[in-house]
Amino acid sequence: METKNIDKIIELSNELRWQIGDDFHDNLTEAIYADASKIVEKTVVKDNKKGAFYLNAKIDQIVTSKIWGFPIMLLLLGLVLWLTIVGANYPSSMLASLLLDTIHPFLKEGASFLGFPWWLSGFLIDGVYLAVAWVIAVMLPPMAIFFPLFTLLEDFGYLPRVAFNMDALFKKSGAHGKQALTMSMGFGCNAAGVVATRIIDSPRERLIAIITNNFSLCNGRWPTQILLATIFIGAVVPSSYSSFVSLAAVVGIAVLGIFFMFFFSWALSKTVLKGEVSTFNLELPPYRTPLFWKTIYTSLIDRTLIVLWRAIVFAAPAGAVIWLISNVFIGDQSIAVHLIHSLDGFGFLLGLNGVILLAYIVAIPANEIVIPSILMLTVMVTGAVGGAGAGVMFELDSVTATGDILRSGGWTLLTAVNVMLFSLLHNPCSTTIYTIYKETKSTKWTVVATILPIVAGFIITFLVAQIWRIMS
Amino acid sequence: MNPYNPIIALLVFFGVVLVLFLIFKPKNGLFFKYQKVRKENEKTAIEDILKLLYHDANISKSTIFNELDFSQNLLLESIETMMDSGLIKKEKELFSLTKDGHEYALRIIRAHRLWEKYLSEKTGFHKEEWHKRAELKEHELSGEEVDDLSTLLGNPRYDPHGDPIPTKAGKIHEKKGILLSDLPVFNFGKIIHIEDEPIAVYKQILEKNIHLDSQVYMKETSKNRLVFESEGEQFILSPIVANNITVISLDKADVVEKDTMRLSNLESNQKAIIIGISKECRGENRRRLLDLGFVKGATVSIDLLNPLGDPKAFLIKGTAIALRKDQAVKILITKR
Repeated sequence: METKNIDKIIELSNELRWQIGDDFHDNLTEAIYADASKIVEKTVVKDNKKGAFYLNAKIDQIVTSKIWGFPIMLLLLGLVLWLTIVGANYPSSMLASLLLDTIHPFLKEGASFLGFPWWLSGFLIDGVYLAVAWVIAVMLPPMAIFFPLFTLLEDFGYLPRVAFNMDALFKKSGAHGKQALTMSMGFGCNAAGVVATRIIDSPRERLIAIITNNFSLCNGRWPTQILLATIFIGAVVPSSYSSFVSLAAVVGIAVLGIFFMFFFSWALSKTVLKGEVSTFNLELPPYRTPLFWKTIYTSLIDRTLIVLWRAIVFAAPAGAVIWLISNVFIGDQSIAVHLIHSLDGFGFLLGLNGVILLAYIVAIPANEIVIPSILMLTVMVTGAVGGAGAGVMFELDSVTATGDILRSGGWTLLTAVNVMLFSLLHNPCSTTIYTIYKETKSTKWTVVATILPIVAGFIITFLVAQIWRIMS
Repeated sequence: MNPYNPIIALLVFFGVVLVLFLIFKPKNGLFFKYQKVRKENEKTAIEDILKLLYHDANISKSTIFNELDFSQNLLLESIETMMDSGLIKKEKELFSLTKDGHEYALRIIRAHRLWEKYLSEKTGFHKEEWHKRAELKEHELSGEEVDDLSTLLGNPRYDPHGDPIPTKAGKIHEKKGILLSDLPVFNFGKIIHIEDEPIAVYKQILEKNIHLDSQVYMKETSKNRLVFESEGEQFILSPIVANNITVISLDKADVVEKDTMRLSNLESNQKAIIIGISKECRGENRRRLLDLGFVKGATVSIDLLNPLGDPKAFLIKGTAIALRKDQAVKILITKR
């Protein structure tokens, strides 16, 4: 009986839909707006504050002007990045000396005092603890500087104007102007950049922004770039130019990343994503004074701590794996050495080596531990002097000493250039992959976002290596 | 001992790339050819013949061979099957549809036009692709799926080109109109249909930004060109292109869009009233614009120009909203 009624109602509604026609939604919205404006006329008292409105218009005219629009934007982005990279050095080295140089030996002593067997203290302290400590020391300070600065600009109302200015460029590659913001956020952290794509409400453009966010060089990768550029590329030119040339190399890599972002945005929107719905609208809200402390607080809690927590969750098992593969032996060699030898051939083809590839595999959870892993594995394989033992990651204070270890592992200028390229073009870290999955709820797009950059990385490093070898 | 040589490595790489390119080359790569061969079965051929006969009754075998892109053997077999099952009949070597065949053809047309409607409302595929995709999909949808699709879309009456969609019962209200090229000079008309075949002509119409459901005013007709106004812009078309556009002639009394122009042509110090959103703005895009307040009767002006020219920010209902040019051309206004 009941289902009969329901069928009748559905039939009736279908009949009515047919009669109403296609303009139904238009008419409804018009009616709602007409009602709303009547209510507004009756109840809302307007405060004719011309001053605020005038100031708003004035700022808008400057930040979107032909002359000043782009310089202001670049200046602000440069300033934020500079503050982040330079400003994070001090707290980072303080955290490193506390967590790595003070607490780590202390824990080791404590463990041996309590009579832990070597494998247990190695696994827990050299493996798990060290990886987590490393990620915190390298990751926390830049994020704690970058995100509040970014959120302040956002709260002030400036960022929508950036999207407005940049939209024509992004439109050419099938993307949304707001991708300029999520891309910049990616310079801080790709996982945060992926979360930030929520501001793009068009499904196709949001997927593009998510998949290409990894082409923004994140905080975890800037130090690698700077270190390698200083050691290898700065050394090519006379010392008076070296710092300038190595800086230019790092900036060049970041710009190359932006180029790849545009290229893949275009390619994706023309192929696999062309069927997704695409809309555009961008609201330019009025400027307002940011609530300083509230902003600092929310950006620390919402962005920094959540991302940090996810990174720690993924870094801990990575530390365990690094220690285990270096200390578990099959035959007379550790698993790590076996892996390195089996990866060496492929690595050579790409102008890299087995150590680097293995380091990138174990460092999937966090780009921050790539260099420490490379150093540890290089020392282990070559038997060079230095290092802290099998499975114990380390970094050296002296850039020259770091360079010496890498050279002893067979590194050349080509290796350094290709590691810089590969650091830009490889799979996102596991935190980002997990975030992409949570944001897209789709295995397919998560796999695409993971595979795409690493395939690009393989192709680019391969081509560079072959051409380099032919030329030299 | 080591066979590695960078030149050989590069050659192998480019070899692999070339092979992949040949397989996946757009349009005529091996992959797509394989897909096409797989699709080329009797059902598809039969249904395409039905559609052809629906539009042009009484045609000969050779016309069928010319019009359809199937092997002759397959077409011959299909025609035989159709004769046997009573879908078509033959008189003096000319074929036409039986009543059953007519019903079947309408079902296919219904599936095709509903799918085009679906693509226009619910996906982001470009207009150019709708027809091609619907040509494939119409053979795959079952009767039940077509009905579900129709319900999902709110039982639409017209497809995005302005063609009527046959109902479930097989009824169809053909629109009566004249070709744009037949609209006399100094007369008003309204565009009710834009044909999507052949694709080359359709692309020309798309490039000109001529919109379905817009009113036109014919200014000049000659053998070489037609000049007409629509939505405050002037268009010049060759008669061949104009033959793909169907209009209905309007009385002076019905003309409401005399002072209509597109929002994209508003100057920075002018104010305007919104008349409506063009029928060419569909699906999610249309609803977004409505929800943002671009409704009939609202006042709109330019808030900010862009250093790169596009998008512009418009002041609507006290809020600054940036729209791209391809959206602004679809919003109709009249200056105040």
